[in-house]
Amino acid sequence: MLKNYISNMRGAVLAALMLCGASLVAQTTATGVINGSLVNKNGISIQFDTDAAGVTLGAAGTSAATANFGAVSAFGPLSGGVTRPSVTAANFTVRTIFDVQVVQGGLTSTTYTLAANLAAAAPTGLSYKVDAVTLTTASQTIQVNGSYNTDIAHNLDLVVSTAAPGAGGPAVGAPITTTINFTATAN
Amino acid sequence: MNCKFNFGRKKALLLLSGLLCLLAASAGAQTSSGQLTITMNVQSSITLVFQNNPSVGTTGFCPLTNAGTNNVGLDLGTASFPGNSHSSACVNYTHLTGAVYEVSSAFDVVVTKANSSSPNYRLAAQISTPPPANVTWLLNNVTLTTAGFTTLDTTDNYSAPITKTLQVQVKNTVAAQVLLETITFLATAN
Repeated sequence: MLKNYISNMRGAVLAALMLCGASLVAQTTATGVINGSLVNKNGISIQFDTDAAGVTLGAAGTSAATANFGAVSAFGPLSGGVTRPSVTAANFTVRTIFDVQVVQGGLTSTTYTLAANLAAAAPTGLSYKVDAVTLTTASQTIQVNGSYNTDIAHNLDLVVSTAAPGAGGPAVGAPITTTINFTATAN
Repeated sequence: MNCKFNFGRKKALLLLSGLLCLLAASAGAQTSSGQLTITMNVQSSITLVFQNNPSVGTTGFCPLTNAGTNNVGLDLGTASFPGNSHSSACVNYTHLTGAVYEVSSAFDVVVTKANSSSPNYRLAAQISTPPPANVTWLLNNVTLTTAGFTTLDTTDNYSAPITKTLQVQVKNTVAAQVLLETITFLATAN
C-alpha cells in the first residue's frame, strides 16, 4: 500500500517536472520582424577647402568659407599664401589658391559644372577672377568637367587698379569685402 | 457604361501625369551652391629701382649690374692720381685740384607709386661705412655720410627717370686699397 503510494507520488512529481520543463522551453523562443524602409535620395554638395599653396580659409570644409588676403599693395609685402603674379602701370594682381570639393550621391553623373558670380557689383578699382574668368553678377562657367570627391584647386585673382582713391582706384586702408557665389551642377 | 469608360480614362490620365511629374523631377539637374567671402585691405605703396641711363656705355655712364631692380652694382674700375690713370672707359675721370682726383658715373633712379594721391617724393641717400680719410662719396655733388640720410631732392616726379651721378673723390695721399660702399637710397612719398 505504502509502496503503491510512493510510486504514485514519484510518478506525479516526474510528470509535474516534465510539464514545467516543457513550459520553460516554450518561453525561450520568440519571433518578430522589422519592416525597414529607406528612401535613398540623390544630391550633391559643395565645400571649400584650404589649398596648401593658398591662404588658410575661414570655415574651411563648409559651403560658406572666407578668404582673407590681408594687406595687399603693388610693391609691399603680402600675407602668406598670397602671391603677386603681375604688376603693370595700370594695375596689379594678387592671387591665392583655394580648393573646391563636390560630393554626389545617388546620381549617375560622373562630373559637374562649376559656375560663379559676384553677389554684388565689384567695388571701384577691383575686379575678381577665378581661373582667369572675370566675374560679374551674372553666373559664368568656371569648369565644365569637375571630378567628384576630390579637391580641385582654383586660382582666385584680385586685379587692383593702381589709381589713387577717388581717381578710379580702390579705397585704401579699409577692409573691402566681396562675396562670390559658386554653383556646382551635376552633368 | 459610358460613365465607367470616362472614369477609366481619367484614371489613366492621372496616372500618366503622375509618372511624367516623377520623370521630370528625376531629370532636373542636381545643383549645390556655396559662398566664398573675400576680404582684403588695399595699401598705398611706392617702389624704387635703378636703371641704366640711355647714354650707358659712353663716358660718364657705366652699366649697372642687375639694372631694373632695387639692388644693383656699379663698378668704377681702377684709378690712380698720377697720369689721369683709370681702367674703365665708361667712368668720367677728372683732376679736381692738384692733389685730388674724381671718378664718376651716372645712372637713373625711377620711383613708382600705386594707390596713392601723393604728387611727388623726396629722395635721400646714405653710405654704409665711413670712408677712409681723404675719400669722399657724393651724389650730384652732395656729400654722403653715415650719420643719416642726406636729402638729394625734395619733389621728384613719380615714374620719371631721375639721373644721379655717383662721384668718388680721392686725395693723392690715400693709400692703395679697394674702396667699397653700399649706398642706400630712400624715397619718401610727399
